Amino acid sequence: MHSPIDSRASHARTLAARVVPVGVLLLAWELTARTGVVNPYVFPPVSEIVVRWAALVADTTMLGPLWDTLWRALLGLGMAIVIGVPLGLAMGRIRAAEWFLEPLFSFGFPLPKIALIPLYVSWFGLFSLSKVMLIFTDCLFPVVIFTYHGARGISPVYLWSAQARGTGRVRMFWRVVLPLSLASIYDGVQVAVVVAVLVAVVSEMVSGGSGLGYMMMRAFRYGDVRSAFATLLTISLIGFALYHIAQALRERLLFWHVTEA
Amino acid sequence: MTNRSGNALLTRFSGLLRLLPLLIVFAVWQVASTVGALPKWLMPSFFAVIASLADLVKSGEIVPHTIASLARAGAGFAIAVVAGILIGVLMARVRAVQLAMEPILMLIYPVPKPALIPLFMVWLGIGNFSKISVIALACLVPIVIATFNGARSVDPMLLWSARARGTSGRRLLWRVVIPSALPQIAAGVRTAIAIAIIVLVSSEFISSDSGLGYLIFSYGGVGAEDAMLAVVLYLAVLGYVFDRLYVASLRKAMAWHAFAH
Repeated sequence: MHSPIDSRASHARTLAARVVPVGVLLLAWELTARTGVVNPYVFPPVSEIVVRWAALVADTTMLGPLWDTLWRALLGLGMAIVIGVPLGLAMGRIRAAEWFLEPLFSFGFPLPKIALIPLYVSWFGLFSLSKVMLIFTDCLFPVVIFTYHGARGISPVYLWSAQARGTGRVRMFWRVVLPLSLASIYDGVQVAVVVAVLVAVVSEMVSGGSGLGYMMMRAFRYGDVRSAFATLLTISLIGFALYHIAQALRERLLFWHVTEA
Repeated sequence: MTNRSGNALLTRFSGLLRLLPLLIVFAVWQVASTVGALPKWLMPSFFAVIASLADLVKSGEIVPHTIASLARAGAGFAIAVVAGILIGVLMARVRAVQLAMEPILMLIYPVPKPALIPLFMVWLGIGNFSKISVIALACLVPIVIATFNGARSVDPMLLWSARARGTSGRRLLWRVVIPSALPQIAAGVRTAIAIAIIVLVSSEFISSDSGLGYLIFSYGGVGAEDAMLAVVLYLAVLGYVFDRLYVASLRKAMAWHAFAH
């Protein structure tokens, strides 16, 4: 067996092995940009991007667009959950709903919903509404499909044993079907969180109207590559943060799932 | 014999039955347009969309755009499949590669890939090269992760028994590791097909003078909504057909997998 010191040393080595590659990558980037081998206009040093990012956050330039992107993404996602979960549960438990909706969702799933941007702009205008509706549409698919698979996959043993105890339809839904589908629903929501940010940013890039996507496109157009990179950094941070918040919430929200079910 | 063909007929029939809900939606759409419940300025009728799709195909206008899009998506996708499986397997078999790649993947993973399109355009030009690179990068991530997970969880019994028979090195990789990781790799590749189409359309929206995304956006821009929807429908069918073809060929290629268990 390893002695504690050994294992601490190997732990440090593992940590080093994790940090070093990223560090080397960033350092190589910095040095390449500094030596002037590449055009610093299109390839600014990392340090300058970070400084610009901090400046844009400090003078609150970044906060308005950040807020716009965030509320659009979360509103669209929220709508998709409110409408998608009942739809998916109905598909999973009601034969007729499954027959009608399953082919529609499996046909619509591979369609890139981003292709609907021009149509949505003509329906819902150029401003926030068309973007929120597009985010809603795109998030609806993973939420419905995961919920459907969760509800359909419930072991009939649970349903039989609840029925045998005389559980009625309404109670059955709230106490058996919904709780047993929750883990699957949450899988769908975790996929949809990533989709929501992506669609928010792309729709802002394509049809403008504030937000981080628009801010980044405008910075590129004006040749302000440092600000563009800084905005991209914020976009990545949102994706990263939402993904990890969803992961952390999962452990909080679903801990009882194991114990009660 | 008769029983078999009877079954085939039944499968075909149930396939048609699956299409029925889609046909109902199209029929309701058409009727709503005909009776005037769905005004033309809001949405062209279903027949009008089909008619302009027929025009686009008959005049051959859609052909060069289809080829341009498929070439971009196909090139990026192919690069991602080859590189993704290679990186994923290396990560699973070589600890140093795993430690080096994991943090880099964690950095790339949350970035909405279409947000990288303008950046790649600044670096690599506005032509095909930048589009193919973004598509390749976006498709790479799910393939690497799926391959890594698949190759890492190869049943050690298989490895031991192959090693005991003197199999090693490249042969072990090709005959044991990759085949047994295949189901997971296949799932990653399927995700990548959907991602390729999304990034393709986004990149053609943002800057292009050819391709299906360009066609949708330019028809949308001049208010030719029937033609725009025709291309969207065409894209949906294309995505659906690719997904089906992939699943069907997979079923054929992995028929042995059922026997393995």
